Amino acid sequence: MHYIWKEWKEHIRGKGLWLALSIIVLISISIMLRSSALSFDKGFYILMINLFDTIIYFIPILCLFIGAFSIFQEKEQKTLIMLLTKRDNYSSFLLRKSFGLYTVVLLPLLVWFFIYLLLLKFQFQLDVKAYLVFILALVVMSLVFLQMGAAIGSFSRSRMQIIGCTIFIWFYFFFLHDFILLSFLPDVTYENVKLFSVGYFLNPLQAVRMFLETGMGVYSFGHMSRLLEAFMWTKPVFFLLGNLVVWLGVSFGTATFLNRKEGYE
Amino acid sequence: MAAENLQAMIDSMKEGAVLKLEDKTYEGNIVIDKPLTLIGAKHTVIKGDGTGNVISVRAPRVKLKYLTVTGSSMNRNSSEEYAAIKVYTNNNLIEHITVRRSFHGIYLSKAHHNIVRYTNIKGIGKGEIAAQGNGLHIFYAKNNLLSHNTIEGTRDGMFFDYANKNKSYDNNISNTRYGLHYMYSDGNTFKRNIFTMNTGGAAVMNSNNLTLEDNQFIVNYGNQSFGLLLLQANDNHIENNLFYMNQRGLYIDQATRNLVKNNRIIQNQIGIELWASSQAQVFTLNRISDNTIPAVTIGGNGERNDWSKAGFGNDWSSAFPLTDLNQDDIGDFPITYYSSLHQLIEDQELTNLFLKSTAISIYEKINATQNNEEVMFKDPHPLMPVKRSHTFVLWIGIGLLAAVGIFAKGRQKLCITFGRNGRNT
Repeated sequence: MHYIWKEWKEHIRGKGLWLALSIIVLISISIMLRSSALSFDKGFYILMINLFDTIIYFIPILCLFIGAFSIFQEKEQKTLIMLLTKRDNYSSFLLRKSFGLYTVVLLPLLVWFFIYLLLLKFQFQLDVKAYLVFILALVVMSLVFLQMGAAIGSFSRSRMQIIGCTIFIWFYFFFLHDFILLSFLPDVTYENVKLFSVGYFLNPLQAVRMFLETGMGVYSFGHMSRLLEAFMWTKPVFFLLGNLVVWLGVSFGTATFLNRKEGYE
Repeated sequence: MAAENLQAMIDSMKEGAVLKLEDKTYEGNIVIDKPLTLIGAKHTVIKGDGTGNVISVRAPRVKLKYLTVTGSSMNRNSSEEYAAIKVYTNNNLIEHITVRRSFHGIYLSKAHHNIVRYTNIKGIGKGEIAAQGNGLHIFYAKNNLLSHNTIEGTRDGMFFDYANKNKSYDNNISNTRYGLHYMYSDGNTFKRNIFTMNTGGAAVMNSNNLTLEDNQFIVNYGNQSFGLLLLQANDNHIENNLFYMNQRGLYIDQATRNLVKNNRIIQNQIGIELWASSQAQVFTLNRISDNTIPAVTIGGNGERNDWSKAGFGNDWSSAFPLTDLNQDDIGDFPITYYSSLHQLIEDQELTNLFLKSTAISIYEKINATQNNEEVMFKDPHPLMPVKRSHTFVLWIGIGLLAAVGIFAKGRQKLCITFGRNGRNT
């Protein structure tokens, strides 16, 4: 609780959280206004997919920056050393710090999307289950990238390093990961498609998208071929949870083992 | 009321009589073998016994209105496919009917000049294909009018088999396998219908001379999905339709001489997927924008597919920059679109899973440098892109101003409000 309150005070004074939130609010409102011509009964789904396709460009990088700079600030202000000389070791500090980050970032996001739901009610026939799927998709995506950001903040020694690493990770998941898979695509067969599937769903953006689109009932997996059935060897929700566990674990491990306690401007 | 009572009431009526049913559940099944009118009240239900058709119409000029019909046989091993209402005759009117828990909804079997309108048919759901039938099943039936029907969650929304010269207007079909399924049916007209969230919007197979106008194919989205499929379908007229957010907007295979005119093909993963087996299509005056791939030709370059007609091509959006020095709203030079993805799409079905990925653009650019691309289409007379309104930009401007306002003035107050530790406290 102490960490959550500390995190809240720090972020409320900074620009990052406000900037992130204002971008998301702005995008969601503008998409809502642009969707006014959509039909009452099905427009909700179209809006959700369009909104997701747009904010997927912003949430990862904003979360990466917020996570990274939040940790780095502890180094800059020497509060990390003070905290670690008490009873905390780095992993317990990181755990508490991460929970603080999750709360501070996700809470305003959830509050905004609750208000947003009320606004949508005037325009569309709502599907609350689909909306919860959308929220869960956003939460998981935010958690993964916040934790990755925390890892970047842990091993970086300067702001330039943070910016470089953040942009690289964002670029990797947006472009490189899928590009690498695309180059393997001609060699995918029934025998190795499961491995390919693991690689595909290791990209949080793909795992989240698949979960969202199937969870909302928009994406249809009817009449699957044998190859596609083998590719989708478990439910999208398990791919999503697997992705979450893997990236939280990897990020946490990286942050714990590669952390540098000193940073400089 | 017992089944024989409703049947007895029908049997006792004279030809042309009107029977007003009470606000309660009647037990079926019933057979109507003389011209009469059956009108229900708000909660009138005719419930079948699950062994056959709930209402069989075996006389012409029957009118059925304001009824809820449930409980046809779901048996797939019988010699006959059952329906909530099965019509065997001509010149009937079926309107304001709700259908639930039935194999087919309304089945026109060798029945002509009927009107089916304002019905609401709901099936088990999109996941269930074999265990249920179609919303409207039109079999060897001609000159029928199907309008303002709402169909959801059945196998196919409307299924036409050897059914010619029917008209379908203003129907709303969602969450089915194919919203519209045409087999061996010619000369049908299809206007102002909306297909949403089906595995496939409309599948037109082995059918000729159809007119599809002002329809909307929206979010028909899945690995094998499409807005409109033309398979061995010839001489069809496709005009003024909207294809929005489908896996493929139009999917054309082994089809010839189709005219695709003045449609909006927007934000699909593939705007037009054209297989080389298709010849002599004409695409003109369409707006094709914001698709991941605007058009792709698969299996080699189809001959004689024209991307313009009478000097009018298509609007390919600002993604294809054009000049228009003589200001005739037609670009000064042709647009040629190259892509390397066609081979991957043809060889590997998993490619579809990447069509929303931003990596596609890098893949295309790298292959462009290696000369692995082929021409997908060449529009000799592209239209200048439609100018869009700038409300979106305006909103971004307002938002940025608000953000600046928060940082410049309001942040202290927000800090005090939320954190109780603003700098001037």
